[in-house]
Amino acid sequence: MLRDITLGQYYQTDSVIHRLDPRVKLGGTLLFIISLFFFQHFPGYVAAALFLGIVIKLSHVPFRFMVRGMKAIVFLLILTVAFNLFLTPGTELVSFWKLTITWEGLKTAAAMAVRLTMLIIGSSIMTLTTTPNNLTDGMEKMMRPLRVFKVPVHEVAMMMSIALRFIPILLEETDKIMKAQIARGADFESGNLLKRAKAMVPLLVPLFVSAFRRANDLALAMEARCYRGGEGRTKMKPLVYQKRDRIAYLCILLYLAVSITAGRLVWMWI
Amino acid sequence: MGIVKASDVVYEYIRRDEEGNVEGITTAIDRVNFDIAPGEFVAIVGHNGSGKSTLAKHINAILNPTEGTVWVDGMDTGDEGSLWDIRQTAGMVFQNPDNQIIGQVVEEDVGFGPENLGIPTKEIWERVEESLRAVGMYEYRKHSPNRLSGGQKQRVSIAGVLAMHPRCIVLDEPTAMLDPSGRREVIRAVRGLNQVEGMTVILITHYMEEIIHADRVFVMDQGKIAMEGTPREIFSQVERLKELRLDVPQATLLAHELKKRGVVLPDGILTGQELADALVGKKRGQG
Repeated sequence: MLRDITLGQYYQTDSVIHRLDPRVKLGGTLLFIISLFFFQHFPGYVAAALFLGIVIKLSHVPFRFMVRGMKAIVFLLILTVAFNLFLTPGTELVSFWKLTITWEGLKTAAAMAVRLTMLIIGSSIMTLTTTPNNLTDGMEKMMRPLRVFKVPVHEVAMMMSIALRFIPILLEETDKIMKAQIARGADFESGNLLKRAKAMVPLLVPLFVSAFRRANDLALAMEARCYRGGEGRTKMKPLVYQKRDRIAYLCILLYLAVSITAGRLVWMWI
Repeated sequence: MGIVKASDVVYEYIRRDEEGNVEGITTAIDRVNFDIAPGEFVAIVGHNGSGKSTLAKHINAILNPTEGTVWVDGMDTGDEGSLWDIRQTAGMVFQNPDNQIIGQVVEEDVGFGPENLGIPTKEIWERVEESLRAVGMYEYRKHSPNRLSGGQKQRVSIAGVLAMHPRCIVLDEPTAMLDPSGRREVIRAVRGLNQVEGMTVILITHYMEEIIHADRVFVMDQGKIAMEGTPREIFSQVERLKELRLDVPQATLLAHELKKRGVVLPDGILTGQELADALVGKKRGQG
């Protein structure tokens, strides 16, 4: 059923990671990604992998769900690895036809692959353990300082959460319109790409009309309920840092310190 | 002066062509006067295009009258400064349940109004709980609105308005898109609010069965209030209602037809039970 669709890829379960404040998760993911590109040496990767492993364990999300996110970037991954492998100059290892693999190439390619994999897994942990709603709330609160630069933070967050609310409704409606058009003899399945794209017109036009009508109704309903932008608004579920959030921040900082020093230490030895 | 008062209200829609020139003027509301007392249950009926929805939008200051004045709790709806107070005093529930639910969880949607009013967090939770209980949706507070039935969604919408603590609630055809059981659910919730909480209710509808429990009924036709009275007074004029292209509840219609055939029955029978009682009473009287 279309209405059963889940947005993003939230995995419903109860864990420490799920209960963390979305701001911690957003900030943590960002720092983790930055850290991946910070260090150049082996111990750094070990530290990152260990950290990631612990977070995965704590999140109670089955590992296969995180691997699922990898599918989307398999192509990018192969491309990056291939470029790094063949195009880095340095000591020659193997050479066949016009391609040469260098020792340096192998090293950068492996580093790139590990980095990208950890990046994707790291960010999918965030989306798997945070509801879209929480995520928008977290973003709104984190971006608040940008209001100084006239960035409409509240409005953007409100738009995002309304979009999230209406996606299932519009999907259901698409389904309905599609069936109505099929009943009138429309054909969405056969023909080449151009023909199929043309067949979408009688689907998209009524969908757009109805989306605009809904938007108009919703705006009216929001105004009738005294909505007048973010000014003077209170929150039913305000984000307040708990003890666990502070501990999580500490853990992230500790990880950063360890991974950076580990990288540096080895570098000094060499 | 009652909670909602209209005096000589006129509303005109100006139709324009593509260049923006005035093509014509449609008078949607034509010299309407009424005065609704606090705690009253008023139903406004009329066929499509009779101006009943346009009238409803005036009470919430979504539309402003072209001529005349609407007062809500003593505030003039034309006065920009009291706009938000008016909207808080007279809450409004719309026709399409999907297009008025903003939250992704039932309780968050009910909290939307109080959030806009700047109510402290703790009190929002109290209001949400009390409003959801009033419409019997408290068990569903953690559900996604997409998974509720039409009647349930509409009750959530009513709770969303209640949480703003209005003094009066305007329902603009809240049952038009619902199935019969959803309609009964919503009407039961609305009656409960009126009788238990003493809320002023203005119900706009075109289902005549829904107005039986109202204290007062306005019948609109071509922007005017064509008839006004208690449901019993209204339904005793079956011929006039037919002229206004309105349905009559089946029991009332049957009683009317029987009377035309010479059976002596009281005027304004509303329910099947009343009709049955009247007929049985007659038989006993004869026997």
